Amino acid sequence: MAVTDLASVWDDAPVAHEPSRDLILEALRLASFLASTDTSRRDAWCLLLHSDVLTCIASSEPAGTPGHGPFRVSEHAAFDRAITAGEIVDDGSQAVLPLRGDSGVLGVIVIAGEGGLDDRLRATVATIAGIVGLGLTQASAVTELQLEAERSRRLERLKSEFLNIAAHELRSPLGIIRGYASMLGDGVLADLDRELALSRITEKTEEMARLISDMLETARLETLGLELELEPIDLLEVIDTAVQAMRPLMSVDHHFALAETRDEVAVIADRRRLTTMLTNLIDNAIKYSPAGGEIEIACQRGEREATILVRDHGIGINAEQAHLLFARFGRLVTPETSHIRGTGLGLYLARETARLHGGDITVMPTPGGGSTFTVTLPLA
Amino acid sequence: MEEDVKVLLIEDDVAAAEMYRLRLTADGYSVVMAHDGQQGLRMATEELPDFIYLDLRLPGLDGFEVLERLRASTTTMQIPVIILTNYGEPELRARGLRLGALEFLVKSDTNPAQLSESVERVVGPRPLPST
Repeated sequence: MAVTDLASVWDDAPVAHEPSRDLILEALRLASFLASTDTSRRDAWCLLLHSDVLTCIASSEPAGTPGHGPFRVSEHAAFDRAITAGEIVDDGSQAVLPLRGDSGVLGVIVIAGEGGLDDRLRATVATIAGIVGLGLTQASAVTELQLEAERSRRLERLKSEFLNIAAHELRSPLGIIRGYASMLGDGVLADLDRELALSRITEKTEEMARLISDMLETARLETLGLELELEPIDLLEVIDTAVQAMRPLMSVDHHFALAETRDEVAVIADRRRLTTMLTNLIDNAIKYSPAGGEIEIACQRGEREATILVRDHGIGINAEQAHLLFARFGRLVTPETSHIRGTGLGLYLARETARLHGGDITVMPTPGGGSTFTVTLPLA
Repeated sequence: MEEDVKVLLIEDDVAAAEMYRLRLTADGYSVVMAHDGQQGLRMATEELPDFIYLDLRLPGLDGFEVLERLRASTTTMQIPVIILTNYGEPELRARGLRLGALEFLVKSDTNPAQLSESVERVVGPRPLPST
């Protein structure tokens, strides 16, 4: 009686660890052997099912045997009892044995044969179920450790990539500041151009300051968490401040369209962080609509919450990738956006800020192209 | 001006393009600008500049693709090109030089005056400033 694992199913199951797999297969082989020592049950076989999905992850039947022997899949009640109550469920010709792990029943061994289980066999198979349960527990612990190590390696890599991106992002405004400073020093600029140079230097210094502040804010969020400085504020004022701050970054082809609500929308919030959140959303709208167009900003007062919409008509995002936009160090780069500068921190911080205030940010494609970011915040 | 030396700036960062244009103009060069790779290629063919400054990260065609196409066309293959970018990684530098760029400059380490100096070195003495 060959014990055959179903490799593909096994690979997908959360117990894919070699030593434990061998242990489990050995235990199954033994269980099948014991079940078949009784001459009345030459056809005895057993298999191992995963408790969550009742998918076979190992079997004493050769792979490809239709249905893996006389296993009656329709008898879910027996599996349910074995899994929820941890009982051995024996109907005479088929027995379902729970495999107990640290966190409950991990799976079941199904043993089938014509003669049912006598007490001796029942005790032996229960012992084997214990061993397999232990194997599965160890396997999932090892898998969890491996996953954790993989996550940590991935984060390390993302952080290195992020450092690289951030350095280049700082270089860009620095290049302009240095360039204009040297031209001012050389005295090659006419009066009007000198004014332009100074305003560019101011703009680029602010861009660097914003980048650095985003980086520090992210570091602080990760290590200490952010402490909000809460006060009653009018959202319309915050929107106004953010719009004024970002106006210089717009190209001549961009224009703001502000919804005409003039009733106060009062929230309890951290004014500085909420302003940064909005400037980040507006910055994003400007950057991702390189051809210009309208950037709509609207604020609505609902029954319990306030909603701010920031809508652009630019490149837009693929709905399936939307969740990646808010990932830390997770700037979404596609062939259409690879030339657009950005660290990706802005949207991450924006969403964290909204959530710290008890709200959230979501993104949807703007009909006809572009993206619409919706911020919700609880009303005061 | 019959001795007009024309420089094409292929640069998508408007603030950077404007700054380099100011400096090159102040030094007496005539400057045309393109803000993406396709436009850069078109202007290189139409304007036949004496010199090209080329950014790497550009919308559409990136700087390397632009350089390859400039070099592949008999109309533009002789135009000296200098890469001007925020990315100074050695492998990018090596690739740029291999594709035929004359120099590889990192923006934050480059004084705008160097742009005029490089043009002068390659094309010959600059014309008298127009102002």
